[in-house]
Amino acid sequence: MKHWLRLNRLALVRTLGSMVRTPVNTLLNLLVIAIAASFPFGFYLLLSSVAAVTGKVPVEPQLSIFLRNAATPAEIGKLKEQLATDGRVAQVRFVPRDEALKQLQERVGSADLMAGLTENPLPDAFIVTARLGASSAELEQLRDTLARHAGVEEVQLDSAWAQRLERLIALGEVLLQVVVALLAAALALITGNAIRMQILTRREEIEVAKLIGATDIFIRRPFLYMAALQGLLGGLAACGIVAAALSWLNPAVRDLAATYGETFLLRLPNPAEVAVVCAITVLLSLAGAWVAVWRHLRRHH
Amino acid sequence: MIQFQQVSKRYPGGIDAVKQLSFEIRSGELVFLAGHSGAGKSTLLKLIAGIERPTSGAVLVNHQNVSRLSRKALPYVRRHIGLIFQDHKILFDRSVFDNVRLPLDIIGFSGPEVRRRVLAALDKVGLAGKESLNPIALSGGEQQRLCIARAVVHRPAILLADEPTANLDRDYAHDILELFKSFHQVGVTLVIAAHDESLMADYGRRILRLKHGEFTA
Ligand SMILES: Nc1ncnc2c1ncn2[C@@H]1O[C@H](COP(=O)(O)OP(=O)(O)OP(=O)(O)O)[C@@H](O)[C@H]1O
Ligand SMILES: [Mg+2]
Repeated sequence: MKHWLRLNRLALVRTLGSMVRTPVNTLLNLLVIAIAASFPFGFYLLLSSVAAVTGKVPVEPQLSIFLRNAATPAEIGKLKEQLATDGRVAQVRFVPRDEALKQLQERVGSADLMAGLTENPLPDAFIVTARLGASSAELEQLRDTLARHAGVEEVQLDSAWAQRLERLIALGEVLLQVVVALLAAALALITGNAIRMQILTRREEIEVAKLIGATDIFIRRPFLYMAALQGLLGGLAACGIVAAALSWLNPAVRDLAATYGETFLLRLPNPAEVAVVCAITVLLSLAGAWVAVWRHLRRHH
Repeated sequence: MIQFQQVSKRYPGGIDAVKQLSFEIRSGELVFLAGHSGAGKSTLLKLIAGIERPTSGAVLVNHQNVSRLSRKALPYVRRHIGLIFQDHKILFDRSVFDNVRLPLDIIGFSGPEVRRRVLAALDKVGLAGKESLNPIALSGGEQQRLCIARAVVHRPAILLADEPTANLDRDYAHDILELFKSFHQVGVTLVIAAHDESLMADYGRRILRLKHGEFTA
């Protein structure tokens, strides 16, 4: 155990030494790793910021059924009955045309809305809340059945935009997975290549060490340290880049949200996310280094 | 200590560097390996260290069949062997001290023990005070001594020296051989390859003469 610690300390010192001796190379490598990692991470934070907004919007979708002025009480009664027995419907509220007008006047804050009109132009309506978790295909089907009903003028699916946003976020999540997979592969290749360059500059040392009794583990160790350190620093730098970029975007985002009367800011990385990002970059970097050393040792056996 | 049983080595390209060799070197022996260029001296030493594997036959070192050892086990056998390479294999990106400490790092020595052993080895070969130089600043003979220091710093039981006196003048070569004699006196098993047999005569030891990969009388 002591022996093992000693070997590791030695390898770590060697690693730091060689990274400090080639500062430009080290910095360039870190920057490449940081930029590659900052793309998916920044994308993820954007997505989670937007998803948080959609969480505030009521998700149970509503349908407004506007009735024909000429609808007979029998037709209305039949519709009511159907709504009461339909499994997709959670709640029904009837809004008579007079009440709708009153609500509208209150909202607009003007009594002379009716000036020039002789008659209330609003129809009677049912406000239907659909069962929670109904898919949008189901909702559209429900809308179509209701629209075909006698006495119904028009059916509006109110939550269409929220559904659309949810779909967009779902799409963004798939896209995120693709970006993560691609950039993870890129990251492993980049770090693997950086380690390969290190191996090449030290191949004489590796050769001599092997000839005089070094194990593969001994040879691999300093490169794994280098990779881990590179991954850690690269991951931290990525978090820094993302935090800086989002902070830079935020004033503009806040102004945009203000025009909708909302307060909204993009979320900055939290410590847990920073830890996860660093863990991922370290693991990918280690994987790349492992393969690079393995290939070298296999070729030069 | 070292035993060859019907050992042959054919390199890719069809050259038989070593043909059906059988011999034994006992513990603590000092053996010279003589022969012209291309006779197979380096190949024989590499077979002992497990750097090359025989095409047929068995190479036993300390009763272990080196030619059959796994990739994992081989390094541990090499640690009992000190190697002086024909092409030196000095690392010019580090000091004399750091060249010599390499075997100790591999075995896992640390702290003051490393420094003590490295300085003792350098002192033994006559390079005391040169530990912080870059090896490029050493003369050819001094570089040869550096190789010897690196080969003995971890006190191996077997020392294999491939042309340790090449390109050195006679007096200097004798100094080096005296050095090997002193290792022999403390019980190290030595195999020294050289093509100049006149040097060996002065030491009156066992000489294995190679020609085209076979022993001659
Ligand atoms: N790696 C190799 N691949 C192919 N042939 C080789 C290899 N190494 C040595 N040989 C051949 O094997 C034969 C013996 O070589 P070896 O190096 O053992 O000779 P040597 O006695 O050490 O010669 P020298 O005194 O020049 O060092 C030579 O003909 C050489 O060309
Ligand atoms: Mg040779």
